[in-house]
Amino acid sequence: MHRTVPSLPLAPSVKVKLINAGFQVASDLTDMRPLQLCKEAGISQEEAVEVLQMLRDDGQPHQQRAATESLTALDLLHQEQALGSIVTFCSALDDTLGGGVSMGKTTEICGAPGVGKTQLCMQLAVDVQIPVCFGGLGGKALYIDTEGSFLVQRVADMAEAVVQHCTLLAEDTEQKQALEELTVEKILSNLFLVRCHDYVELLAEVYLLPDFLSKHPEVRLIVIDSIAFPFRHDFEDLSQRTRLLNGLAQQLIQLATQHSIAVVLTNQMTTRVSNGQSKLVPALGESWGHAATQRLILRWEGLRRLASLYKSPSQMEATVQYQITVQGFRDASDEHRPTPDTSAVSSQLGNHSKRPRTEDLS
Amino acid sequence: MDWEQLDLNPRIIGAVKKANFRTAKEILCVSGPDLQRLTRLSKTDVQRLHCAVAAAVRKSKLVTALQLIRGECPVLEAGHRLSFACPILDGLMRGGLPLRGITELAGESAAGKTQFCLQLCLSVQYPQENGGLNSGAVYICTEDSFPIKRLRQLIAQQPQLRPDLPPALIRSLRFSDNIYIEHAADLEALQACVSQRVPVLLKRGLVRLLVVDSVAALFRSEFQADEAIERSRHLLAFSNTLHRLSHEYGAPVVCVNQVTDVVDGPNPGRCDYGLVGSKVLPALGIAWANQVMVRLMLRRLAGQVQSASRSSAPRKLEVVFAPHLPRASCLCGVWEEGVRGIPDDHSDLQPQGSS
Repeated sequence: MHRTVPSLPLAPSVKVKLINAGFQVASDLTDMRPLQLCKEAGISQEEAVEVLQMLRDDGQPHQQRAATESLTALDLLHQEQALGSIVTFCSALDDTLGGGVSMGKTTEICGAPGVGKTQLCMQLAVDVQIPVCFGGLGGKALYIDTEGSFLVQRVADMAEAVVQHCTLLAEDTEQKQALEELTVEKILSNLFLVRCHDYVELLAEVYLLPDFLSKHPEVRLIVIDSIAFPFRHDFEDLSQRTRLLNGLAQQLIQLATQHSIAVVLTNQMTTRVSNGQSKLVPALGESWGHAATQRLILRWEGLRRLASLYKSPSQMEATVQYQITVQGFRDASDEHRPTPDTSAVSSQLGNHSKRPRTEDLS
Repeated sequence: MDWEQLDLNPRIIGAVKKANFRTAKEILCVSGPDLQRLTRLSKTDVQRLHCAVAAAVRKSKLVTALQLIRGECPVLEAGHRLSFACPILDGLMRGGLPLRGITELAGESAAGKTQFCLQLCLSVQYPQENGGLNSGAVYICTEDSFPIKRLRQLIAQQPQLRPDLPPALIRSLRFSDNIYIEHAADLEALQACVSQRVPVLLKRGLVRLLVVDSVAALFRSEFQADEAIERSRHLLAFSNTLHRLSHEYGAPVVCVNQVTDVVDGPNPGRCDYGLVGSKVLPALGIAWANQVMVRLMLRRLAGQVQSASRSSAPRKLEVVFAPHLPRASCLCGVWEEGVRGIPDDHSDLQPQGSS
């Protein structure tokens, strides 16, 4: 292989010694024996064995990987379409999101307290388990709770409603068969819960996720509710907080793309005062705004609850109305069609929206 | 942190010790490339190190929601709640107060918030099968002095409030012995009380309810209008302590909050939680609201309700938000024996003029 020595995953001191001894590419090393390498490069025998072991391990798959690494955009499109999405049971919101919460992406849900973030997360954790023959993903979910607001009573209600909904829809034999297995207990048993009490536990949990996902490949959704709570107090050094959050965001995006799962994060709102006017903006700072692939903002407008898609690489910005019923997250009874944001509406809503696309740049 | 107990190559452990890392937190807060630079380990070694340290920090096993609902994990989900000692109020709250998390009770003065808190302090002392937690309560007063005469009256009238319980049980409980009263005159005293004295009582199992009456008083008085960030910081530190205690000991925390007047119309910079047409909103802003799990509002209505030839001004207890409750409200009255929900729907009652 034509990998250069500096790009190999070795300790820096070992790399320096190898380069000084004249080894520039990985292929120079492959024919060496440990003792030879030891004498020529001046590294210890243990280090030499490790170097050769590592080269042997990723020699083969790397060649194969290089051959298949380039994909056409058409392949990517097919892959994305095959992935599917998780419905939210609010058809207006599903239309706005392009079918539901997409797989392989991180989605952030921001909103004031009580507007329905935890309800939406619980709904998604139940909806991901809808069997494939009903149009769902038939997967499991991992719920990371940092606030302690996961009350299993409520999830049981939502699971009951989903089972009833599927019972009404069941037509052919395949669906009826899947329905026999779909009980409230089954849904609850496929929902894993982890509670993190501070940000160190949350960081540790995210480091353990790759292992968890390889042990439980049926998990298709990870929810972190909320990511803001552990990071908003006792942080004297805000730059460290930004660094940790960025690191977390990177790890989560990597997990989402590698395992084709959906990662949903919840964020809080905070007040920002500018020019004597105060606005509600998502918490955790400006740089966190770039972390998630999609951003959904839930807010109150009088008695109505509105959900706005603020950031998405593939969907148009829009605002829809929803409501929370006994059964869970649902459409509002009167309004069903999403309204695209006009520039007047988005300018009212504060700095965190993008500049309206119709703005004249002259 | 004892590095030797981690399941790692001794070479990695040696490098960690040489780089002067002492706690797991330090390792987890440093990114992969930084750790490589500081310890001179390779990328795979650093990954193994992160995983091993993370596994040591996360000792608890994975649970499923099914295990929770079956009551197999009392640490995460106790399965029961703290009752209000009234079936109508318990019905509104689907059993009562959740054992973990901060419950806020907001309302104007004379709405009856202290009455609710006193009733909870008595209800917590009953055994678990009667809706209590078999333990005492800590009552932190920041505004007026503790209403000891009213408490004595409530204790004397307990058989009237709980006719479903055997009188022998009520007589056997020494209510006033199990209520610990603290007065906090300023923020420092409040923080000291909550971080030093209350944990001792919780650890010994002497109390399992914490009431702060009220949380708004000190935070609103000690900070000027332009010191909002400073106030936020203190508020977050305080609520973090409460949150931690509540989750560690499974003790409900009830915080009484004041209300602020709404003078302008709907303001995009202020969240009104869907309380349209309400002239008051809970105080302390969104910083505090983010820490609260269950928010209840108590409003005093005009008119009178009768019960067995006694009368009381009716109150409306409303659930503003809670993860497991719908938006609902119920009417209640404050009587000699305590707070009782009113079953009929008095739809002709209006809020009092000034509210």
